[in-house]
Amino acid sequence: MRFLVVDDSSTMRRIIINTLHKLGHTECHEAANGREGVERLAAITVDMVITDWHMPEMSGIDFIKSVRANEATKQLPVLMVTTNAAEDDIQEALRAGVNNYVVKPFTPDTIKDKIQAALKG
Amino acid sequence: MTISAELLTKLADATNEVFGTMILKPLVAIPAWIPIEPRGAHVIATVAFAGYRRGAVAIHTSVEAARGITGALLGLPATAVNGEMPDAMGEVANMIAGAFRRKLAAIEPPSEISVPTLTIGSDFSTRYLGSVRRGNCPFEMDGHTIAVELILIGTEPAAVDSGD
Repeated sequence: MRFLVVDDSSTMRRIIINTLHKLGHTECHEAANGREGVERLAAITVDMVITDWHMPEMSGIDFIKSVRANEATKQLPVLMVTTNAAEDDIQEALRAGVNNYVVKPFTPDTIKDKIQAALKG
Repeated sequence: MTISAELLTKLADATNEVFGTMILKPLVAIPAWIPIEPRGAHVIATVAFAGYRRGAVAIHTSVEAARGITGALLGLPATAVNGEMPDAMGEVANMIAGAFRRKLAAIEPPSEISVPTLTIGSDFSTRYLGSVRRGNCPFEMDGHTIAVELILIGTEPAAVDSGD
């Protein structure tokens, strides 16, 4: 599978990409905020997006809304990885269009399970 | 004014959760209070929070230990860590503060956390103004001291009526 990882923390992008590599997913692209994510999606094709919530320039929530508003990407599975764990936060993310939600800290097994769940819808 | 043992236990649990899940280095709790500013070059990674409570979580450690944490987080030998350390320590502070916030939100109204800030240098100390309460969860990792500090502004918030 091909992934786009969107996070303003280079550390978290690297952790997620290392995890994806361990799970056998070697084609991983990166963006440092939602605006860059939109630009990357216009230039490449991926099978899933993994995004943070709080980012400068364009937040994860606004990025997901942009993904869902675009005919070319509206069906793309999106996984959100964040420290926000309150029920209100999760509901807001689901309303914006995320398919599944990972609360940091996480294990590789959690990422694997959430990817599979996101692919199922 | 002191910070309750319950809050410090939740902070220690949050720290152990992050180190056990993401850094994969065991922490050994040090029961006694220790000075939180180590000698030599050190790092303080801080995340503030506001809402039901106001304050900050601050991780104090040596630069050498911070390199070890960064290497473990990124899957690199500590000797290969270079410019990654500030962002990595900020992310560790963010995850610990986020896990602490989540544990508190299970028993009281929520607070929001800030973006992390990093202070790296030698021969400096931190001072707080006003009515601040401070508590410390010291750990040892690979022979290095890692102190996770809780700073709270003001007195304990009034208990929230659960409606029972």
